[in-house]
Amino acid sequence: MLDPSLLAALGEIVVPSALLTAPEDTRPYECDGLTIFREQALAVLLPENEAQVVAILKLCHTARVPVVARGAGTGLSGGATPNRQGIVLSLAKFNRIVNIDPLTRTAVVQPGVRNLAVSEAAARYGLYYAPDPSSQIACTIGGNVAENSGGVHCLKYGLTVHNVRRVRAVLISGEIVEFGGDALDSPGYDLLALIHGSEGLLAVITEVTVRLTPKPQVARCVLAAFDDLEKAGAAVAAIIGAGIIPAGLEMMDKLTISAVEPFVKAGYPLDAEAILLCESDGAPDEVSEEIETVSALLQRCGATLIEVSQSETQRLKFWSGRKAAFPAAGRISPDYYCIDGTIPRRSLAPTLKRIGELSKEFGLPCMNVFHAGDGNLHPLILYDANKPGDRETTIAFGAKILELCIAAGGTITGEHGVGVEKIDEMCVQFAALELERFHSVKHAFDPDALLNPGKAVPTLHRCAEMGRMHVHRGQLPHAELPRF
Amino acid sequence: MDMKTMLRPDAGAVADVVRRLCGDYGDRAVTSHAVREHHSHGEGLADAGMPDVVVYPHSNDEVVAIVRLCAAARVPVIPFGVGTSLEGHVAALFGGVCVDLSQMNRVLEINAEDLDCRVQAGVTREQVNAELKGTGLFFPIDPGANATIGGMAATRASGTNAVRYGTMRENVLGLTVVTARGELIRTGGRARKSSAGYDLTRLYVGAEGTLGVITEIQLRLYGVPEAISAAVCQFPDLESAVNTVITAMQSGIPVARIELLDDVQMDASIRYSKLEGFAVQPTLFFEFHGSPAGVSEQSAAMQAISDEFGGSAYQWATLAEDRTRLWKARHAAYYAALAFRPGMSAFATDACVPISRLADCIMQTKKDIEKSGLTAPILGHVGDGNFHLVVLFDPKVTEQRARAEALAKAVSMRAIAMGGTCTGEHGIGWHKLDVLAQEHGEAVESMRAIKRALDPDNIMNPGKTVPL
Repeated sequence: MLDPSLLAALGEIVVPSALLTAPEDTRPYECDGLTIFREQALAVLLPENEAQVVAILKLCHTARVPVVARGAGTGLSGGATPNRQGIVLSLAKFNRIVNIDPLTRTAVVQPGVRNLAVSEAAARYGLYYAPDPSSQIACTIGGNVAENSGGVHCLKYGLTVHNVRRVRAVLISGEIVEFGGDALDSPGYDLLALIHGSEGLLAVITEVTVRLTPKPQVARCVLAAFDDLEKAGAAVAAIIGAGIIPAGLEMMDKLTISAVEPFVKAGYPLDAEAILLCESDGAPDEVSEEIETVSALLQRCGATLIEVSQSETQRLKFWSGRKAAFPAAGRISPDYYCIDGTIPRRSLAPTLKRIGELSKEFGLPCMNVFHAGDGNLHPLILYDANKPGDRETTIAFGAKILELCIAAGGTITGEHGVGVEKIDEMCVQFAALELERFHSVKHAFDPDALLNPGKAVPTLHRCAEMGRMHVHRGQLPHAELPRF
Repeated sequence: MDMKTMLRPDAGAVADVVRRLCGDYGDRAVTSHAVREHHSHGEGLADAGMPDVVVYPHSNDEVVAIVRLCAAARVPVIPFGVGTSLEGHVAALFGGVCVDLSQMNRVLEINAEDLDCRVQAGVTREQVNAELKGTGLFFPIDPGANATIGGMAATRASGTNAVRYGTMRENVLGLTVVTARGELIRTGGRARKSSAGYDLTRLYVGAEGTLGVITEIQLRLYGVPEAISAAVCQFPDLESAVNTVITAMQSGIPVARIELLDDVQMDASIRYSKLEGFAVQPTLFFEFHGSPAGVSEQSAAMQAISDEFGGSAYQWATLAEDRTRLWKARHAAYYAALAFRPGMSAFATDACVPISRLADCIMQTKKDIEKSGLTAPILGHVGDGNFHLVVLFDPKVTEQRARAEALAKAVSMRAIAMGGTCTGEHGIGWHKLDVLAQEHGEAVESMRAIKRALDPDNIMNPGKTVPL
């Protein structure tokens, strides 16, 4: 129960319909896209302007009540999972595109604006917002900043952090701050970068200025099939190693193809062990040339089939399968669990091979569909939550994959964030000294740890406990790292 | 600034640290006046402070040991690359230990398939590219000077081709840093993207040595473009040249570099670099990177735009040596400006505005220069809205220096008023401390909180960037 006087004070800030406390009203906010973690908040608030956000944060600050900011709730790592002692601050009503400036190629938007809505609004100027997470129809810009979201095209056009000029936010103390600026560079510490991927732990975002990109004149896509997963992995390394940065470079394995093809009929060869989609965009001659170079490389790497899209319809058809991969997984398996490790590109082939072996060891099928150009894996472990032991095996298998990524010099999350999901793996990826620096940063912004507590950065105590557990099992990875 | 910053460290503690360093590092710890003087300033104005000792570490462990010694004694640590910064970043305002990283100059690894490499902080930009020869890769960031990679990371350097390749912010994948407490940490890594933990990499990039000492850098590399061509085009007036740039950027032509030199700078450069066949007129230098077809598409589109604004016929430089000559002239522009008025001193302004305000900003600035009666050539990487004035003044005439400072201030304030910044790429150091609050308001408090959190005793390059 929220303290009655605090509840009354909150009720004076927002209209009655924007303060939800009844369990049936707060239930829709009990989880985000990571549904295995659910929690009830004491209250959900839906402010409609910045002054209300400031007032709410000031009250919560004084009363020491945790605050979890929330966008569309499409996050995949539990970043928006409520805190049972605290409130959820939904930015859903911040859904206005404030301004689009075609000359400077920027748009000022409120955090609750959907990712795709920005591109739709900018389309009449021949511009679009480049980062395109798969959930772009629903996910919001504020959430994109908080998670530093990527997408299929971030290989060439960068992550959210590369496409945002300025962020306006409110600190837990109620102070309004602006990070970044409208010019190329902004002096002083790069707090703009710091706020990206901070998962709601440093400030509540109230306005974002995003960079818009001119729409390329042409885009064409090459579909290549391979009879061997490792050959496909090597082809990715060969393309990038030749200095080509395609607009998108995605890979799907056999299990994915067989799940997707009957579903969307994208024209994928069912006998292939792996297919690659490689997109090229830009001016017409430039695109043709790049497609030619890429095709030659694919040939040399042993592609069994190379098909180039001849029309926009065909290009979209090629992509339709990739975009439907997650829903397709849902069709062939009652449950699936998506992992988000990123590895250096050259480790793709051996890592994929090892995941295949692990899949046999754990006895669970695993679909591989991912942003190959970035080395960002998204293994989908297929399981049945109703089958006893399946969930535990899945989590163990997932943890093993992440450890594999770290051992290859990679990271436990390429674009989905840590949230509550991967908080233990943080102890494996980062040494105590680095975690301490994270805590120093957190402390500088939010000394009482009221913003989204328990997420993203584990306490050293938690790592110590986990470390002991791993040692006890005799399989502590990277034993040389200090863990306290 | 509070008293803690204003106080010099305890003289006895400094003497003790100097003695210890001389004992531990022998002839790699230097106290001679000449060497300390050399380390007291960059290439900007020389009014600065001298360190008490300059030490040349060879390894991460040595940097750790030096910082620990200084941390225990509360003695300032000032990291130093090759001293090409312009805003007094390396001045030892309160004395202390200058850590010269130039002898940590090894390229540690090159990973061609991952398009990255790892280098020690003292490796220079030209050295990286020399070692990459034969791999088909290159590191594009080019601030003009042959700076060290550590210094470029610390100052978040950009340069002539930022419009295509970004700044150090986009091109540093990870760092090894010695923290203010003398701990060795690694940030970021080889993976192309990560959303694990706070972005410490970008926090240390651009912190100007005030949060820790950068000792190793993981750099993003690019394939050497199949084709490169450069062109020069001259314009009847400054406005036409600037408008050509703005239109090009808005059409999304992926130019690798666009440089503007105004008539005064052209006059200086023609004399200094012995350029032939050019008029004393506002001039744009272009460079295009890509496949042969891509390059000719880009340059044809560019030529159509410059024609529209009354530009002269393109002069092409497809041969590597012609290109080198042109860019050498551009890189030597600062020295050309100095040679233009012998005996004069100079400082460079660094305004950067949203591209839609660029024409306004440059035209008003040109009027300011005329009114000031000073010589101040204009040049810049206008593709990203960034331009410089080299303000020349006679150091012996106090009134001239005051006029020069007033001119520079006016340029800075205008840039800020137009939604831009007065430091597009040179950083803050301590010459531009006053502008930080003007540009950032409340966010400066957050920066101070970060400084306090990561350097509680204020020993890392104190008094700079975000002074406590």
